[in-house]
Amino acid sequence: MSQKNLHDKLTELESIVAMFDDDNLAIETALKQFEAGAKLADEIEKDLSELKTKITVLKEKFDTAA
Amino acid sequence: MTNTQPEIVLQVSDAVALINQTLDFAYPVIVIEGEISSFKVNQGKFVFFDIKDSGATLGCFMMLFQLRTALEDGMRVQIVAQPKLTQWGKFSLTVREIRPIGEGSLKRAFELLKTKLQKEGLFDDARKRTLPRIPKRIGVISSTAAAGYGDFVKIVGDRWGGVELIVAHVQVQGQAAAPQIMRALDYFNQAAEPVDVVAILRGGGSSDDLAVFNDEPLTRAIAASRIPTIVGVGHEMDVTLADMVADVRASTPSNAAQLVVPDKTDTIRQIRRDVGSMVRRMDIFVDEASARVVRSRGTLKEGLDELHYDALKQFAHLRTVLTQLNPRTVLSRGYALVFAEDGSSVDGERVRSGDRIRVEIKNVIIEAGVTNVTEKSTR
Repeated sequence: MSQKNLHDKLTELESIVAMFDDDNLAIETALKQFEAGAKLADEIEKDLSELKTKITVLKEKFDTAA
Repeated sequence: MTNTQPEIVLQVSDAVALINQTLDFAYPVIVIEGEISSFKVNQGKFVFFDIKDSGATLGCFMMLFQLRTALEDGMRVQIVAQPKLTQWGKFSLTVREIRPIGEGSLKRAFELLKTKLQKEGLFDDARKRTLPRIPKRIGVISSTAAAGYGDFVKIVGDRWGGVELIVAHVQVQGQAAAPQIMRALDYFNQAAEPVDVVAILRGGGSSDDLAVFNDEPLTRAIAASRIPTIVGVGHEMDVTLADMVADVRASTPSNAAQLVVPDKTDTIRQIRRDVGSMVRRMDIFVDEASARVVRSRGTLKEGLDELHYDALKQFAHLRTVLTQLNPRTVLSRGYALVFAEDGSSVDGERVRSGDRIRVEIKNVIIEAGVTNVTEKSTR
């Protein structure tokens, strides 16, 4: 799972949710988008539970001018 | 008395050089504390001032780029300098480093520099960038031994995780700190694989300790960073110029962690709310569609009823018309129908006396003989 994907998924979920604000949204579209949104939400929750921090301390020394 | 030592004759330049050599040997570096007076900057490059106490005054010189703090007359400072005799025979101190001393001078230096940078627009909101919502790689400039650094790492992990922290270990106090932080910042700005944001962190300390973060070149370097910056230095109360110039100002390293990554728990709560709101919207969509079906059915029935009524009305009208057009209806009004004997209609041209005809009136049919045929006047 890459972080970029998670970011994309969150953005996609937000745009789906925003579609529901449109009163003219066709019911078939709404249903399709709802299914996609619910699936995304499940995926995001799963992704979030698997996140791990990685720490790299640079070997470079900064005490003298390069 | 006769001087037996051989006399050494020096050229003036050599004399100056010799004296400087002696001074350099005796005092390679000298730290002097005193008050600043006659401070001035010449040609935007050279700084001249005197350092004095109640008993004496010494002239000082330094290059402007070496000056890391704002100065004004009356400020108490320590200078790190090298004594020197100039080619014009004046004694002067070449200053390498200058640090305001005491709460009052530090505060004054801070205010002076703050006003200067403010005038240049370095603290303007318009030049501040927003940090990426979910950073993937964060450059951290801090001392890995500092408590503030540990807090930052822990909170970033707890809140979000999934971030790569690339840590530049530097001194965060003392004279070496500002240049080190600047080099680290430069490193991140030059890195082949850039980070999304640079966090400069340091826990609490005395105002002397935090003075590093009021360093003019460092403040300018943070302002000039191509990579967005967040600075979390000291405790909540502490304000430094590095804070003020950063794209995002955090009150502490912990606060920097809160500002730099979103909270996983909040995000999960939000997406659940999103799904909930979609469910409610779906319900409304279905309700609205059902209501439309019911409404349409009603409209359809009304239409049909109207159509049916119209048809009935038209039928009744037609029946009346047809009834009136029925020739037998005419008989009831006293008229008669006349047919030839074979039941065909009577042809006026061909009917002759002696022909037999049938005459139909309202209620009987009369068979009769023609006794005379007279052409009717056309008038």
